[in-house]
Amino acid sequence: MAEKPAAWRYGYELCRELDLKPGSLYPILVRLADRGLLETAWETDAPAGRPPRHLYRLTGSGRALATELASGPRPAAALGRSEPRWQGA
Amino acid sequence: MSRTRRWCEIAAATPVVVVFVTFYALDVAKDPRESPGQYVGLAVALAIPAALWLAASWLLVRHWWQATGAHLSTLDSPGRLLAAAVWTLPEHRRAWGGAMAAELAEVRGRSARWRFALSCAGAALRLPRSGGWPPVALAAGMAAAAAAAAGPLVGAAVPGLGLFAASFVGFLAALVVLTIARSRRVRLPVPGPTALVIVGVALTIAVTAVFLLRYPESLSPNGAVYLAAVLAGCLWLAVATPPSQTGNRLGPHLAAVAALACVLPPTLLNRVGSDEADSLALTWFIFGPPATLFLSAFVAGAVGKSFLTSVQAGVWAAITLSPLGYALGLAEGMRQYAIDGTLFDGAVAANAGVVLSAALSGNWVIVPVLALPFAVLGAGLGALNASPPVTQAQPGGATINS
Repeated sequence: MAEKPAAWRYGYELCRELDLKPGSLYPILVRLADRGLLETAWETDAPAGRPPRHLYRLTGSGRALATELASGPRPAAALGRSEPRWQGA
Repeated sequence: MSRTRRWCEIAAATPVVVVFVTFYALDVAKDPRESPGQYVGLAVALAIPAALWLAASWLLVRHWWQATGAHLSTLDSPGRLLAAAVWTLPEHRRAWGGAMAAELAEVRGRSARWRFALSCAGAALRLPRSGGWPPVALAAGMAAAAAAAAGPLVGAAVPGLGLFAASFVGFLAALVVLTIARSRRVRLPVPGPTALVIVGVALTIAVTAVFLLRYPESLSPNGAVYLAAVLAGCLWLAVATPPSQTGNRLGPHLAAVAALACVLPPTLLNRVGSDEADSLALTWFIFGPPATLFLSAFVAGAVGKSFLTSVQAGVWAAITLSPLGYALGLAEGMRQYAIDGTLFDGAVAANAGVVLSAALSGNWVIVPVLALPFAVLGAGLGALNASPPVTQAQPGGATINS
């Protein structure tokens, strides 16, 4: 999402790209949205017969945090942890 | 009619039949009758409320089918599983459930759909609570401590009320924790009717305490736990009703007025002292609650043109009139028993426990078992011309948090 900050992304698409189960991804998305790091919207041009999908992209502060994390030392390597730092955010 | 809908109707009717058949079997096992006619008489007596509940369950399924069931029947098994998981989400997280359900529509392949639905259902149960889990854990700890302390403290002050106090605080605390876990805050959309229910619950506890101070050990353990459960339930329904159930303010207000009109006359008539007044009071006492619930639901449905609003009015009438009716009835019963040792209906009471049992069964058993189906029947009739409810299973198209 940080690579293409203007693009809206789908949940299933993110699951496949990140190789994450939806049961792991959605709680992360909820936390990011709760903290104002993620912008969400409903699809407005859904074809007939299909429910509108939920769309996601980083907010300004979300992009700033992503940039900060990308430029800093990788926490997993430094601390020997397997989880990214923002997971508990 | 679709086969799925018929199965839903059978599934709703089965518990009703099982409960009443079990009650019949237990009653005749405990107290064998002397003649076949008495067995038939009991069966007929139980068939009447059973038939009322069967009709009510049919109406509830019919409404649920129009609102949700028809949509669910178009989904495959993973879709239904996910819809059920989404339904458990608190109101402010429901959009995230809708988001998961919408994504499932894009997942192809049976096994992939099952994996996606199962994973999302697990996530729905683990979605972050408002403010996180610490407030919930803190509330649960405080609730457990309060429930443990309430019994001995109240029991020392009012012998016989300890079990009730521990149970009441325990049930109420469990409901408070559940509310904190599911909602951002408690709303009071109808403060007047809510206050009336709170007054009724407070009066119920106060009059029961006075009664037990005068006649200790007249409240059975089963009665104490049952009274605690229904009082906690009334309070929770009045204070923490989900926002989607309180959209219409007419129902609760109508119910509050109807409940007051139902509970006050028997007490006033009993004070007159004449045989005619006593007879009228008894008739009112028996037929008042079903009529009140029916009329509240019927009028609310006819005016609000909504089945849900009508049922809501009936439930509000029940949670308002039961505590008020019990408190006034027990106070009046206590006065009557002190004067001549009789009950509200003129029969001689063997002991003070009978007075308490009569108030309990008259208001906390008769109303839920016999009167509540009338609320659903009134709702069905009142909302005959209501427009079909909007399906709730689809996420809204509105943009959120953007």
